Amino acid sequence: MSTPTGTPDTPAPPRKVVRGSRRAVARSAGTDRFWLAVLGLVLLAAGTLAALLGFGVFGAGRAARPLPDPMIVDALRAQQQLWRWVAIAAGVVLVVLGLWWAVRSLRPERRPDLLLEADPDSTLLVTAGAIAEAVADRAAALPGVGRARARMVGTSSTPALRLTVWVTDEADVAEVCRRLETEVVAEARDSLGLAHLPVAVRLELDSVTHAPRVA
Amino acid sequence: MRVLLRTLSPLLGLALAAVGVILVIEVVAAWLRPGTNGLVVPWPSWQAALTGLTWADRPVIVVAICVAVVGLLLLLVALLARRHDVALTAPTPEMTVATSPRVLARLVGRTVRESDDVAAATVSASARKVVVRAEGWPDAGGGFGELTDTVRDRVATLLDELPLARRPRVAVSTRGRKEPR
Repeated sequence: MSTPTGTPDTPAPPRKVVRGSRRAVARSAGTDRFWLAVLGLVLLAAGTLAALLGFGVFGAGRAARPLPDPMIVDALRAQQQLWRWVAIAAGVVLVVLGLWWAVRSLRPERRPDLLLEADPDSTLLVTAGAIAEAVADRAAALPGVGRARARMVGTSSTPALRLTVWVTDEADVAEVCRRLETEVVAEARDSLGLAHLPVAVRLELDSVTHAPRVA
Repeated sequence: MRVLLRTLSPLLGLALAAVGVILVIEVVAAWLRPGTNGLVVPWPSWQAALTGLTWADRPVIVVAICVAVVGLLLLLVALLARRHDVALTAPTPEMTVATSPRVLARLVGRTVRESDDVAAATVSASARKVVVRAEGWPDAGGGFGELTDTVRDRVATLLDELPLARRPRVAVSTRGRKEPR
């Protein structure tokens, strides 16, 4: 039942289109995961080193020294001006990094509108919501599909489509995917005048149905 | 786990920014007005309290271990918050098709439970492995070989029908039921 990828008579799409379809599967959490991992690693390393120091792994003499080490305090006091600027710079970096991280995490995902025509007198713009609604309605009408939800993602220059399809129990999944591509997505691509429209399809089961155990 | 990641990320970002703001405020305040007890946080009294502690003191070790544990938890959240999608074969390279392990498990569970030999079944699935635990009745010889074969065949047929990009391994375990069929 599995379907081969690509057809011999059609040229392969550009690599960025293929990447676009993979990216459209879901909102990326890579940045959040990276910074959380960095923060976790820093805390883990600091905590472990401090605990090892306290247990005397680096020598009993070091473990018995006060927390604000007099040598370090003296070194800071000797170059007070320099360390003030270093502390201010570190504070500014933390503020910028923290605000950037928070804003990036809270910012809603982009839903690009598509500009079809732009004349000096008029412009023809199709909103992301309108495209999504049309595609979802079209996909939901396919046999084997209970309901569908679409969303435009990416940017205006490289738009992509995220399609969540709830298939019914009787659905032929491969056939549903094929018809989504040949009928729904191809139609959207033609209507919008796009050479390529990367699509990420997420399949869900429409509802839990229990087959009768006794005929 | 992704919900936790989405919740933690803005909170930690704001916490970092707050630490940065306090750091800048305190350094500038101490620079302009030396000898004061801190503008937002009483850091001179904190410094005095810390001077009386050594690295070997119990509270220091406890706090260090707590910090390490929190760091480990954050690291685990970051590592485990990846997507666990099951990839399906797409008709064109412009399309990516995926489903969740939950959907695959539901499909397998439904297929297995449709068999008259199976009284109950629990399924867990990932892109790499499908584990089926089926309950049924022993065959004539008292074993569960037939039940295992039935379940395995049904799962294999379903996996043949689904356009999975990678066929998962199937593990079947069976258990007897005391109640009569």
